[in-house]
Amino acid sequence: DRQTLVAVLQFLRRSNLRESEEILRREARLLGDDLGGNVATVATSSPGVAAVAAVPPGKGEARGDCGINPSSRREPGKREPVCCSQPPGLSVMLGRKGAVVVEDQPDVSAVLSAYNQQGDPTLYEEYYSGLKHFIECSLDCHRAELSQLFYPLFVHMYLELVYNQHESEAKSFFERFHGDQECYYQDDLRVLSSLTKKEHMKGNETMLDFRTSKFVLRISRDSYQLLKRHLQEKQNNQIWNIVQEHLYIDIFDGMPRSKQQIDAMVGSLAGEAKREANKAKVFFGLLKEPEFDVPLDDEDEEGENEEGKPKKKKPKKDNVGSKSKKQDPNAPPQNRIPLPELKDSDKLDKVMNMKEAARRVRLGPECLPSICFYTFLNAYQGLTAVDITDDSSMIVGGFADSTVRVWSVTPKKLRSVKTAADLSLIDKESDDVLERIMDEKTASELKILYGHSGPVYGTSFSPDRNYLLSCSEDGTVRLWSLQTFTCLVGYKGHNYPVWDTQFSPYGYYFVSGGHDRVARLWATDHYQPLRIFAGHLADVTCTRFHPNSNYIATGSADRTIRLWDVLNGNCVRIFTGHKGPIHSLAFSPNGRFLATGATDGRVLLWDIGHGLMVGELKGHTDTVYALRFSRDGEILASGSMDNTVRLWDAVKAFEDLETDDFTTATGHINLPENSQDLLLGTYMTKSTPVVHLHFTRRNLLLAAGAYSSQ
Amino acid sequence: MEAAKMASPKSAPKDAQVMAQILKDMGITEYEPRVINQMLEFAYRYVTTILEDAKIYSSHAKKSSVDADDVRLAIQCRTDQAFTSPPPRDFLLDIARQKNQTPLPLIKPYSGPRLPPDRYCLTAPNYRLKSLQKKVSSTAGRITVPRLSVGAVSSRPSTPTLGAPSAQAVSVAAKVGAPVSLAGQRFTVQIPSSQPAAKSATPTTPTVQNVLINPSLIGPKNILITTNMVPPGAAEPAPLKRKHEDDDDYDAL
Repeated sequence: DRQTLVAVLQFLRRSNLRESEEILRREARLLGDDLGGNVATVATSSPGVAAVAAVPPGKGEARGDCGINPSSRREPGKREPVCCSQPPGLSVMLGRKGAVVVEDQPDVSAVLSAYNQQGDPTLYEEYYSGLKHFIECSLDCHRAELSQLFYPLFVHMYLELVYNQHESEAKSFFERFHGDQECYYQDDLRVLSSLTKKEHMKGNETMLDFRTSKFVLRISRDSYQLLKRHLQEKQNNQIWNIVQEHLYIDIFDGMPRSKQQIDAMVGSLAGEAKREANKAKVFFGLLKEPEFDVPLDDEDEEGENEEGKPKKKKPKKDNVGSKSKKQDPNAPPQNRIPLPELKDSDKLDKVMNMKEAARRVRLGPECLPSICFYTFLNAYQGLTAVDITDDSSMIVGGFADSTVRVWSVTPKKLRSVKTAADLSLIDKESDDVLERIMDEKTASELKILYGHSGPVYGTSFSPDRNYLLSCSEDGTVRLWSLQTFTCLVGYKGHNYPVWDTQFSPYGYYFVSGGHDRVARLWATDHYQPLRIFAGHLADVTCTRFHPNSNYIATGSADRTIRLWDVLNGNCVRIFTGHKGPIHSLAFSPNGRFLATGATDGRVLLWDIGHGLMVGELKGHTDTVYALRFSRDGEILASGSMDNTVRLWDAVKAFEDLETDDFTTATGHINLPENSQDLLLGTYMTKSTPVVHLHFTRRNLLLAAGAYSSQ
Repeated sequence: MEAAKMASPKSAPKDAQVMAQILKDMGITEYEPRVINQMLEFAYRYVTTILEDAKIYSSHAKKSSVDADDVRLAIQCRTDQAFTSPPPRDFLLDIARQKNQTPLPLIKPYSGPRLPPDRYCLTAPNYRLKSLQKKVSSTAGRITVPRLSVGAVSSRPSTPTLGAPSAQAVSVAAKVGAPVSLAGQRFTVQIPSSQPAAKSATPTTPTVQNVLINPSLIGPKNILITTNMVPPGAAEPAPLKRKHEDDDDYDAL
């Protein structure tokens, strides 16, 4: 109300309605003394002058008083007064009440902003350095935790200054304090340094999201008490308000964390994850494999007979089926999400899979996989996506020239179905009709698919090898048929570059993630997405299905990984700890663990059930673009831009996990520095960054990348 | 171009030096030399567009010269047009909540290739053939192809009309009367059911189902067939019979 009065007074003064102004002022004085004081000060700042100029630094003294008043008037935690200060037509922070006043009088609102925001812009530097001094003088055990405050406070204060158009103050604030921040925030700071005007912020959705979301900090109760006591002293009220405004402090009881522990978990744009965010139950178990009935066994039996192993396989197959008779408590119910039924061709495929699995090499530290590298030559840095089918028969490359090229890895060439005219001529009753429908004349090892109008950033084969997905910078995801090698559907939904796409392990569903900060779940027969997973602050760069197809992991440029439930679209896990955008994700075959790789070169391992970080693999020196677990989960292979493939011992990494109550309650981990022990081998290519990794069904490791001559 | 590529920073024009400095400030250290040219070109184009717009605005406001407000307005208008940004977070959360409320649809078993309705697919032929002859011949044993709008993958029902007295000549009619659903398409072609003429058609095999429409369905027979027509391949005794059409019967495609 008082603000409204002040605004009206100012307006009257500007419009030279002196008498009305006097009358109003007289009456307004009846309401309160400090209102008069404020009014006087407002009146003295010359009317009709643009906001920034109307706050001359010389008035700092008078402002100092007024600076305190608005904040004391304001109820803690209430966002409305701040909302008043925002000029109309911008962003979600606009409060209803404030808006009405502000709309008519932009100048006034800007003047008011000097009061309504958290204090005087010129004093921000002092607030910050005061806090810095306090934290540096605090006890060692608390200092590490309280230092977490620096970065979010710095960014929020800077953005506040920029948003309210105090450009020079913002610049000097930045100059003075940006060097104090942690090294892993340097990229963000560089982006910030280019944001000097409010208009710059308008197009930058990530920064706007950052402003409106609360940065989460996890601090022990003792440190928090210390901080609170200090900030609630009178002269530090400003910082306290800012803290309450923009930070969410997740308090835990227990020992304060060490710098090392904190460094492992921080780094994302949204701070850490609240403990409750990772408490939801996640069904990380695998779905039961269906048992097979006899006719297929016969077929398999034939095969075995040829090799002189009659009938030995049959009982073994039964065992595989009956092993999981008891429902795994961690596995989702079979019908939790609708899945396509198994066709005969799928059953044949599964039989083949089992046969191959029987001949699989058992990997381990003593028995490392052989690595076969597929180098794309003459790609001129245009190779942007690679995928290999599950049975390793085809390899697809997505290129920056918008083509999608499919190669056959085996000697068997790629054939497309004959034309309708030719099809009518074949004998439909013959046994090998499925071969006859294929056209021999146009069989080739390479098929090129044209259709996208931008670089192809993600490709994915369907599990039944009938379809291929590709997503591109043009905002569409295209479904191609691998029987006719033509494009079937273009799924339009993201209107911005789509960075990654993947088919579900059971087919039918696929997920895509892009620049618009959401991931979408689609089904091949719906032209609109079925689920939208919104929550990331920046682009979604990597999307993967869980082996049981009930969950989707998304890695983002805001340096977090989120796990989403397909059934209802909820975010069930948030993993923070990477210091750069995430570029690769891999679920372990048993569904319990997730490995993630980012531009910081670290591979982090996460326990999905408990929501904890369980391992950190250091070794790569550049972005980790490819991660893959071996077929039985014993080895984790990682491929990176530093031209190496590294093999890590996954069994040992997941061996002893501390899952005591304290850990699960607080999410704290003490990561052992065992990267060297876990590293089983480093394999260097000449100068080919590794873009894709794939374990064949027999545990041979295939890798792919494009030769780059520098 | 070559000269620019080979120019050392010292002898590069001032603009290029400024651009190189900007790239350095933004943390971009590795870039091809032509990036500077591209950026300069973009900057030039952008600035001229803005200034031209500003000139238009200022002359509209009957001002004598272009001032900062005009430029600001020009920038604002162009930003909304050319540099759209992704939707804001609350909007995304809102639509996400809406979308995620509906349960996942059940999957119909045994329904062939699961694709969206045809109008959302890219499987329709995107051309049509013009016939050489306009005359309709309707002797027995010849097929007069009903006029179907080509690429009828819109939801408009295609209304074919038969060539003149050829009520009997349509061998495809029988087929079409009961629309053969190829992978769930849903058109009904209205053709008056008529005696099929010498029809020796063996139904083309369902294996065709997986072959969605490719232009070769038109093939050497030159019969325009839309998605739900079983190609009357075998029934066609005159392989090179072209189809007949009256142009005015076709909807503009």
